[in-house]
Amino acid sequence: MTTNLIAVGLPLFSALLLLLISEKTKYLKELLSIGVLLTSLIAAGMGLILSMKGVQTSLNLEWLGSLSSFSLKADMLSSFLLAAVSMFSAAVSLYSFSMEKKGSSKWFYFNVLMTQALAAGAVLSDSLITMLFFWEGMLVFLYTFIALSADSKETKNTALKAFLINAVTDLLMIIGVLITGALAGSFNMSAISGSKLTLTGWATAGYVLMLIGAVAKAGAFPFHTWIPDAALNSSASFMSYVPAAIDKLLGIYFLARISLYLYQLDSFMQIVLMTLGAVTIIVAVMMAFVQQDYKRLLSYHAVSQTGYMILGIGTLNPIGIAGGLFHMINHATYKSCLFMTAGSVERQTGTNDIEKLGGLFWKMPVTAVCFIIAAAAISGIAPLNGFFSKELVYKGSLETGYVWFFFAAEIGSFLTLASFLKLGHSVFFGKLKPEFENVKESPFSVLFPMVIFSAICLAFGFGAYWPIKNLIEPSLAGIGIVSSHELAGFHPDYLFAFSLAVILLALGNHILGFNLAGKRAHKASDHIHHAPILSEIYDMAEKKFFDLYELSMKFMNYFSRLLFKSDRFFDKITDNMPSGFFGYTAEKISAAHSGSYSLYMSLSLIGALIYLFLAGGLK
Amino acid sequence: MTTELLSYSLIPLLSALAIPFLGRKNRKITEILANVTLLAGLANLAYMIFHPMNRNSGYAVFSFDGLTMSMLFTIYLVAICCVFFASVSGMVKSEKNSFYPLVMISVSAMSSMVLAKDFFTLYIFMEALAVTSFALIASEEGTLGIEGAIKYLLLTFPASALIIIGISLMLLAGGSLRFDIMSQSFSTAHFAALAFITLGFAIKAGLFPFHFWTPDAYQGAPAAVSAYLAGVVTKISGMYALVKICMAVRLFGENAHAISSSLLLAGVITLVFASIAALTQKDMKRMLAFSSISQMGYIAAGAATLNPIGILGAILHIFNHATFKTVLFLNSASIEKSVGTTDMRKMGGLEKNMPFTSWTSIIALFSTAGVPPLSGFWSKLLIIISLWITGFKFAAVVALIFSIVTLAYFMTMQKKVFFGKPKEELKEAKEASPSMLAPAVLMSLIIVFSGIFFPYVFDFLEKTL
Repeated sequence: MTTNLIAVGLPLFSALLLLLISEKTKYLKELLSIGVLLTSLIAAGMGLILSMKGVQTSLNLEWLGSLSSFSLKADMLSSFLLAAVSMFSAAVSLYSFSMEKKGSSKWFYFNVLMTQALAAGAVLSDSLITMLFFWEGMLVFLYTFIALSADSKETKNTALKAFLINAVTDLLMIIGVLITGALAGSFNMSAISGSKLTLTGWATAGYVLMLIGAVAKAGAFPFHTWIPDAALNSSASFMSYVPAAIDKLLGIYFLARISLYLYQLDSFMQIVLMTLGAVTIIVAVMMAFVQQDYKRLLSYHAVSQTGYMILGIGTLNPIGIAGGLFHMINHATYKSCLFMTAGSVERQTGTNDIEKLGGLFWKMPVTAVCFIIAAAAISGIAPLNGFFSKELVYKGSLETGYVWFFFAAEIGSFLTLASFLKLGHSVFFGKLKPEFENVKESPFSVLFPMVIFSAICLAFGFGAYWPIKNLIEPSLAGIGIVSSHELAGFHPDYLFAFSLAVILLALGNHILGFNLAGKRAHKASDHIHHAPILSEIYDMAEKKFFDLYELSMKFMNYFSRLLFKSDRFFDKITDNMPSGFFGYTAEKISAAHSGSYSLYMSLSLIGALIYLFLAGGLK
Repeated sequence: MTTELLSYSLIPLLSALAIPFLGRKNRKITEILANVTLLAGLANLAYMIFHPMNRNSGYAVFSFDGLTMSMLFTIYLVAICCVFFASVSGMVKSEKNSFYPLVMISVSAMSSMVLAKDFFTLYIFMEALAVTSFALIASEEGTLGIEGAIKYLLLTFPASALIIIGISLMLLAGGSLRFDIMSQSFSTAHFAALAFITLGFAIKAGLFPFHFWTPDAYQGAPAAVSAYLAGVVTKISGMYALVKICMAVRLFGENAHAISSSLLLAGVITLVFASIAALTQKDMKRMLAFSSISQMGYIAAGAATLNPIGILGAILHIFNHATFKTVLFLNSASIEKSVGTTDMRKMGGLEKNMPFTSWTSIIALFSTAGVPPLSGFWSKLLIIISLWITGFKFAAVVALIFSIVTLAYFMTMQKKVFFGKPKEELKEAKEASPSMLAPAVLMSLIIVFSGIFFPYVFDFLEKTL
């Protein structure tokens, strides 16, 4: 456990130490952070090796009295996730070394270190309460991460949007955790998994609330809307770290934990999960296809790919689950890599608008090659890692008997490839714009993490056997899922033919679009963008008509106006009405004091008579 | 009459007789004599009340009660303040030498009323007081003063008639005017007599709907006279007697409760009505007049509960009302002197120019509205508590709410007069001279200290009642 704790404790203390270092020092902050995160990665790697040898370590401390203890447990799944999280932290810290567009470097690295510490804590937690402690801590740094990444009003608004979406869903998750803990009689996940909860009554509510928290973290539809906004308003470093990697890892990890470890799901919840996955794939990829901004296009794909993971886990059969988990790590790898290429291009050319870019292949060859590998991986081209994980997801969804989900996933693949053809074509190929004549390749610190990630894409593709056999299968076995089929390996069966067909279709579509748009690559999506019906839907989507956050903000606007109006109304009742009444009465009384003797006398007389009657006992 | 305190009514009377002769040559002597007479009386009273030997013995050496003592103290206190103010401000036209003798006579009459042991004596001095009040109101030159004076006379003369009828009935029925003897053979005639007398004093005190003369009289009279009238004269001639009656009615038990309940009703209606009427007054003195009426309502309601706490509250409120209303009226006089009007619409932002006037006004109005820990808070609290515990819960709530209305109209007044942007034409307004401020500052100090040291005040009254 001690080695694992290094990945939690060391970044935490270094983050606090970092705050003491002056902003003016050169490289000290960067080098300290990179060193700390590399150390964490080594520690996490050692912990993973230990777990792979079958050693399970845990830590139990007295905390919160009888409610829960502070318990961490490094089973295979947790160790695997810890290693992955540490890897992305180390990579992004290296990548950001010479990236200027990341806000204050001190605060950037502070946020990276804090996120690493909290994410590591969250994946190691065995108690749900401990996990919430780390999980909610990340929320704070999500906000500061975005808010400090650039100095503009939009950035602050996006930070607030991200914070609010995650805060609301996290609140629901807290309620879900409390319900689960109350029903199970313990907040300890290993204790709950001993007798899994079934979806009846309150347990359904508990599961659904936690599910919302998990998929919102992963960035699934309809909780994804802050990610495309952040793509525009924050830095490539942030995008390649949090939405591309950490959020996916944590969200899917927790989804797997609750769906497979804590609860026994039924066939209805299976449909719900798979539908959620399929809808996320289709909706997000449709949006991604028509984007004109490098990072924004990638960010929609980051959402879309989440759909595959949810779909995979939602199949509830070992093949699909393995596919979902494998896709999680693969996606994090290539999406991180893709965002890094976006950052690299932005760093060298100053823009991410694909209309302005073009023909950069020979100017930035390393970036371009890394992009091509990662894009091929995300599009599921064999034999890269994305192909294998998607294949497992397809197989799993076919095995459930619901063919529609398979087709939805294939349509997603088709559009993914089509949009990456468009992106790659318009950025790296075509005619080089004269203003980019002097563009140079990015420095080593930027290229190195990219190269590593594309190497992993290749390695996990050509050698897909190893990670599935040594990482995914033991992880699943650790939470009680053993497959009867052989998961690893390359199968040249009908699915492979299908994927080839999809690739050809996408290529054909791209050539068609390219030619229809007058040989302008960035317009290659226009024939679908401006197709009847779709065009209107796209317009509405661009106006954020389907954005749950914007909708609720609009509703909140009305609601607050309603509250304001009702407040005014009650104010009228409590304030204006009495004062109006008193004012009116006072005016009348003043007017009655007209100075007329006869009036005064007669009133006095009447008063005296009434008094005498009353005093005489008249009731 | 209580003979041992008779000097308090005789000395002012002698002084009143001496002033016209001594002051014929020199006006100063008039003022000095009046001030000295009252100051001596006040010092004497203060000595008797505050002397440690007397306090330690629980005032057992005196045969009178705390009510008498505190009323005498109030009379002298307000009288000295008003007379001193009048003499230093020069606002009272004393060429005719009428003001000081009149005040002296009325002090004498009031002291005699307070010292009276039976209603007939009380009645005689009340009439003497009414005549002097009439003359005092009329001392303002111009039609307003005369109009106010005539209204006062016409609207209160039925009271004298009713009281004398009541007294005659009493004498006819039992042959005695002493309450302890009357209570042994309480008859319908006694009841009727008591009812008439109560009605008469209610008219004198200016309870609703017999209050009509009050605003006109206070507005019409010179400010020092208004302060004097509002501070003590109407309280002694009406409220004091009502409190006395209520103390007596306690002796008669259930039989006379219809009288006190009617009085309570009149009191509550008065405080509601006058508070509302005060809200929209444009003239400062008129607003103060309505405020004065509504405070009469509190006192009547408190006394009519017949509860010891209520009566104590009523007595305290008479005293407190004398202090804060005097401050407010004297301040209105200072403002009138420096601005030339009492119309609040023509004022604004006087705070800068007249800070002492503003602050003493704030203290006085907070005390009126019952803001702790000022003295007005305690007496109002006692009245409201006694209304609540005797079962008049609705009346208690109304009294509570209308103390907020009191605050509302006084804050409006304070805002219109002192706060806000100074008006162009008022830039030159000057603070009153220190000697003119002295009475208001003294009264404000009394308000603050009797509020803070309220337990001692309460102790004194409780021991001696």
